Amino acid sequence: MTSWTLALRGLVFYARSHLGALLGAAVGSAVLVGALVVGDSVRGSLREMALARLGKVDVALASNDRLFRQELARELGASLKGLVAPVLQLPGTATTGNADSRANQVQVLGVDERFWKLAKEAPGFSEIAPGSVVLNEQLAARLEAKPGDSLVFRVRKPTALSQDAPLSPSEDTLAALRLTVQEVVSDSRFGRFSLHASQLPPLNAYLSLATLSSRVGATNRANLLLAGGTTDGDATLSVGAAEEALKQSWQLSDGELRLIGVPDGKGAELRTARVFIDPPVAKAAFEGNPRAQGILTYFVNELRIGDRVTPYSMVTAAGAPWVPADLGGDEIVVSRWLAEDLNARVGDSITLRYYVVGLRRKLEERESVFRVRSVLPDSEGVDAGLMPDFPGLTDAENCRDWDTGFPIDLDRIREKDNAYWETYKGTPKAFISLAAGKRLWGNRFGELTAIRFPDRAADATFAGELQRSIEPASLGLRFEPIREMALAASSESQDFGQLFLGFSFFLIVAALMLMGLLFRFGIEQRRGEIGTLLALGFQPRQVRSLLLREGILIATVGGAIGVLGGVLYARAMLMGLATVWKGAVGTTSLSYHAGGATLVTGALAGVVVATLTIWMALRTQGRQPTHQLLSETAPEGTVDTGWSKQRTDLISRLCLIVAAGLVVVKGKPEGAAGAETFFLAGSLLLIGGIAQCASFLSSLGGTDHAAKLALVHLAVRNATRRRQRSLATIGLLACGSFLIMSIGVFRLDSRVEQGDRSSGTGGFALIGESTHPVVQDLNSEAGREWYGIEPDLVAGVEAVPLRVLEGEDASCLNLNRAQKPRLLGVQPELLQKRGAFTFAQVMEGLSSTNQWALLNSEVGPDEVAGIGDQASIQWALGRKVGDALAFTDEQGREFKVRIVASVANSILQGNLLIAEDRFVERFPSTSGYRMFLIDAPNGKVEAVSKTLSQRLQDAGLEIEPTVRRLSAFNAVQNTYLGTFQILGGLGLLLGSVGLGVVVLRNVLERKGELALLLAVGFRRDALGWCVLSEHLALLVMGLGVGTVSALIAVLPTLLTPGAQPPYGSLFVTLVTVLLSGVVWTWGATKLALRGRLLNALRNE
Amino acid sequence: MSKPSPLLILDHVSKEFVSGAGAGLVAVLRDVSLSMLPGESAAIVGPSGSGKSTLLNLIGTLDRPTRGRVRLDGEDLERMDDTRLAWVRNRKIGFVFQSHHLLPQCSVLENVLVPTLATDAPRDDSDPAARARRLLERVRLSDRLSHRPGQLSGGERQRVAVVRALINQPGLLLADEPTGALDRASAENLAQLLVELNREEKVALIVVTHSMRLANRMSRVFELADGVLTEPAASKQGGL
Ligand SMILES: Nc1ncnc2c1ncn2[C@@H]1O[C@H](COP(=O)(O)OP(=O)(O)OP(=O)(O)O)[C@@H](O)[C@H]1O
Ligand SMILES: [Mg+2]
Repeated sequence: MTSWTLALRGLVFYARSHLGALLGAAVGSAVLVGALVVGDSVRGSLREMALARLGKVDVALASNDRLFRQELARELGASLKGLVAPVLQLPGTATTGNADSRANQVQVLGVDERFWKLAKEAPGFSEIAPGSVVLNEQLAARLEAKPGDSLVFRVRKPTALSQDAPLSPSEDTLAALRLTVQEVVSDSRFGRFSLHASQLPPLNAYLSLATLSSRVGATNRANLLLAGGTTDGDATLSVGAAEEALKQSWQLSDGELRLIGVPDGKGAELRTARVFIDPPVAKAAFEGNPRAQGILTYFVNELRIGDRVTPYSMVTAAGAPWVPADLGGDEIVVSRWLAEDLNARVGDSITLRYYVVGLRRKLEERESVFRVRSVLPDSEGVDAGLMPDFPGLTDAENCRDWDTGFPIDLDRIREKDNAYWETYKGTPKAFISLAAGKRLWGNRFGELTAIRFPDRAADATFAGELQRSIEPASLGLRFEPIREMALAASSESQDFGQLFLGFSFFLIVAALMLMGLLFRFGIEQRRGEIGTLLALGFQPRQVRSLLLREGILIATVGGAIGVLGGVLYARAMLMGLATVWKGAVGTTSLSYHAGGATLVTGALAGVVVATLTIWMALRTQGRQPTHQLLSETAPEGTVDTGWSKQRTDLISRLCLIVAAGLVVVKGKPEGAAGAETFFLAGSLLLIGGIAQCASFLSSLGGTDHAAKLALVHLAVRNATRRRQRSLATIGLLACGSFLIMSIGVFRLDSRVEQGDRSSGTGGFALIGESTHPVVQDLNSEAGREWYGIEPDLVAGVEAVPLRVLEGEDASCLNLNRAQKPRLLGVQPELLQKRGAFTFAQVMEGLSSTNQWALLNSEVGPDEVAGIGDQASIQWALGRKVGDALAFTDEQGREFKVRIVASVANSILQGNLLIAEDRFVERFPSTSGYRMFLIDAPNGKVEAVSKTLSQRLQDAGLEIEPTVRRLSAFNAVQNTYLGTFQILGGLGLLLGSVGLGVVVLRNVLERKGELALLLAVGFRRDALGWCVLSEHLALLVMGLGVGTVSALIAVLPTLLTPGAQPPYGSLFVTLVTVLLSGVVWTWGATKLALRGRLLNALRNE
Repeated sequence: MSKPSPLLILDHVSKEFVSGAGAGLVAVLRDVSLSMLPGESAAIVGPSGSGKSTLLNLIGTLDRPTRGRVRLDGEDLERMDDTRLAWVRNRKIGFVFQSHHLLPQCSVLENVLVPTLATDAPRDDSDPAARARRLLERVRLSDRLSHRPGQLSGGERQRVAVVRALINQPGLLLADEPTGALDRASAENLAQLLVELNREEKVALIVVTHSMRLANRMSRVFELADGVLTEPAASKQGGL
């Protein structure tokens, strides 16, 4: 016989009376376990998705517009002893044959059988036939396409030179492909393939690599390498190993570089299909070769002396031997042909006009004046090889075949110009010094078009030397640990376990409180047992510990049941997340995952909190005198130990005074700081209010109301008799209504924000995103004309264009923790002058006026100032203002984006903004703009949206009202709040059930007294009213205290201009709880007063 | 032969209660004095409400007197804290109530053993379970060891309660109307048992009773009326 035997006997014998407490413990544990399992499930689902989208891929090299040899994959595969697949990945749009449905932001992938070998499960085919396309489920669903259907894809051809450069041809950047659907692949068969972590599946179209690369003019080229599945077991491929192998295998042509021999044995020349040699390459080339010579050849629109003009010519900037070594910065050497054409003499001034590479594709023509230093003799300097491989020019037989990105006035081309082109091609007609050339034509892509090595031969030895001196990463050939990043993104994802624990908090508290009450009631029935134990020499502490053991057993059994219940609860929550709470997770199917450790942890936590609750409920047990406990009936004046009236009075006054002080000091309820103060004041009011109720209850007990034998007074006195019980009820109801009301007010409503610059829409009416870059200026007449936009349709429309560097969505719509958020480049002035968006925070030490201009500020070496949305920074990135995020630029250089400021809840969520200048400095080869914030006059918004999306259909422009975008973001927060309200409401309902239990218990305890009242002539319904009013008073007090405190707490939010608190839903919640309380109280009263009350008398 | 020292001494003990509706103090015991030797047996009789149970509670350390002192085994109860009092209750005193107050969830044997759980140190001399079995056999309940109280007759329950009171070998057994709820035959039976155990177990016995038949089987009889305790001379021949 041990104390545990005794506890077990009690548990079994009193099982029926413990049932309620057991249920309470089970509900508490179930909710706890369930919340944790939801967390597991979200994490597990994200992990599953990550593994599905990456298959066996460990590391990836994505070079975007830079193309390397497909052969490189085979070479790397051999040296890594793993699977390496070359892929050509291009953005595209897709339409059905009859153009009924269309999909933008399609990921078009040219793949071969090596790609599918990297999938988790191999699909049923290995080859995609030429002319066929394989779709993933998402794209097939979007287009409602099935095998055999015909689709048209528009894919952007990779361009060696950024389309921002006026020199690059602007037409024909899209290739149209009509393809037949061969098959639809499932998610596990690489249908989900994507480099970016998101729970939203991508839209993928797969073509054979050979087909796609030849159709977009990139035969035998690729821009994505996937490596993984090493032959030695589970070991993952490291970035280090991959980069080492790359260093060994890569060739100059993988960096679009060419080493050619200069005719007549004049050495070797390095040039590039990208026209301008990347500065890191130039640097490396010069370092090992002191005799290397830089050359910059540029296209000038005209060379003029007075009214004599030579149009469209090449001019080379170089050093000796092309020009005298001492050629001045303003001197020019002209060819015989040019001298004759312009009738130029030594000393004449020649004006050069040329376009420069600006931001947008705006044609900016500049001119410079040079003095003729000398005229070259006939034969000298005739070197067609000096002209770089200008796309659109190099291959042209005739000047009329030129395809340039800028307008060529064909009328200006004379017969002799054509003859020159036919004979000499792009042989430069004049030379200036290299320094002058760099000054005039140097740009973000580079400042040399060729490097010559007079003392070297274009042989394998020299090529190898160059390869070794150049970092492949500086040419954008860089592997990333993509699997590692994916797993980090899923494991650091939003912790839904904690989130739901928070949401369910009140439900858990309510369940536990109910359990505590019921357990205590059960124990109170066993007063005789407690008295016996005391009489037998047990100390009160020992008696409590005996009872606690019983409680622990209940909590343990409850915890075990809770595990089962929790699993069901989690499934219900997951179902909720898939349906009514979809807004929180987006279109996702979350699958159930539960770790054994989670279940055990949850159950243990449940047992511990339940035990603690029971321990608290037992604290006062065994304090009554033994002989009283032993006497058969409960004596009149039940001792209700608890805090004295003085103490509760003191607490309530203190709280009220401090709360009032806070409100007075703060004054006007405005601003974020005010919100905190008011919330604090509200919380104090809540505590004070509950203490006031406690004090009120004891004061009622003290005065001698009972002497006047009115029923109402009886009721009042009864409520005070069980002060703790009553107080628990009031407290539960007050806290619950406080939480639900105060949180509910924070629901976001984006309807009111339209047009207001300081709002989350920034005052913009529309936001557009395109699949292909838009290189023309949509605000200019020329740009609009280019896209065929009728001027009157878009009068008053202004767009703020943004450059986009693909990355992960760092908004609350992405459950994963974004590892590399999407970068946007914007001209700060455009936002500053509009005063768009409201700033939430500015980094310490920076001015908080002109916040957008902060993007131009210098924040440190190799750092760029960035601005993001506060919510994205805090939640999606897990950072704060002042933190820095690491990025790698196009040339492989690490740099940091330091967050200098954050904007409040806005449509910019998910992105990080930097200044456009910095953007192109770091990513020179990105073309054009892919995001637009659009101002449109009221009333024309819809028409503008329609016009723009139609005219820019080929670019895959999708336009959405900013309000809708913001609502999508708000929906997440609102869904969270909604979840909290629903679960909190459940808790409140449970609280009102508790009220019912208290009523039942109180009435049962007073059965004799009520029977007596009945016997002396009171009517049964009068007694019912008496009991009902007594308990309804508790209900009203509880809800009243909670509601009033909540109103104070959220006053600033309520008073915010434009705020639209959901009064309706709050009112409904409150009324529901009130009604439920009334129903439970009424039901309990009826139940208790039912039957033969008078029997109770006879039993006495 | 020297006179053994008394087991229990009540020295001018008074007890007053605060009455309900603020009507001042009610004196229930007035200046009660009493002395008992180890192994003695005594009955307390008197009308209902005269304070018999109150007196027994004072002796049993369940309550403290307003004035006067209670000494048990040479120790002054007044000086003891609640923990020590509980220990005294557990080791030196056994209780039998009018209602048996057995734990309904435990078997007969377990009920008897409950008091042994209250203090950690086992009594040096014996195994409590063996003692429980012996005593239960003594009261002719050895075939009922694993029955629940609900499965026993009233007389049987009361016998279990008596055994439970004796399990820790107390020096003093207090019984408040132990036969009050029993039929005549069972009452007679229990009375006989109490008398025998008083002798066999060498435990002093104080019985509060309305039954003169039971009272007369005790070596001494006290009468309590209006809070005043008297011992009719007739009973004084008792004792050792
Ligand atoms: N806790 C208490 N508070 C106030 N008065 C009390 C208390 N306990 C007992 N009394 C009063 O003391 C008096 C004696 O009570 P007690 O129970 O000792 O009588 P009793 O002799 O045992 O009566 P009975 O034979 O009916 O059991 C009674 O009048 C009772 O009302
Ligand atoms: Mg009595």
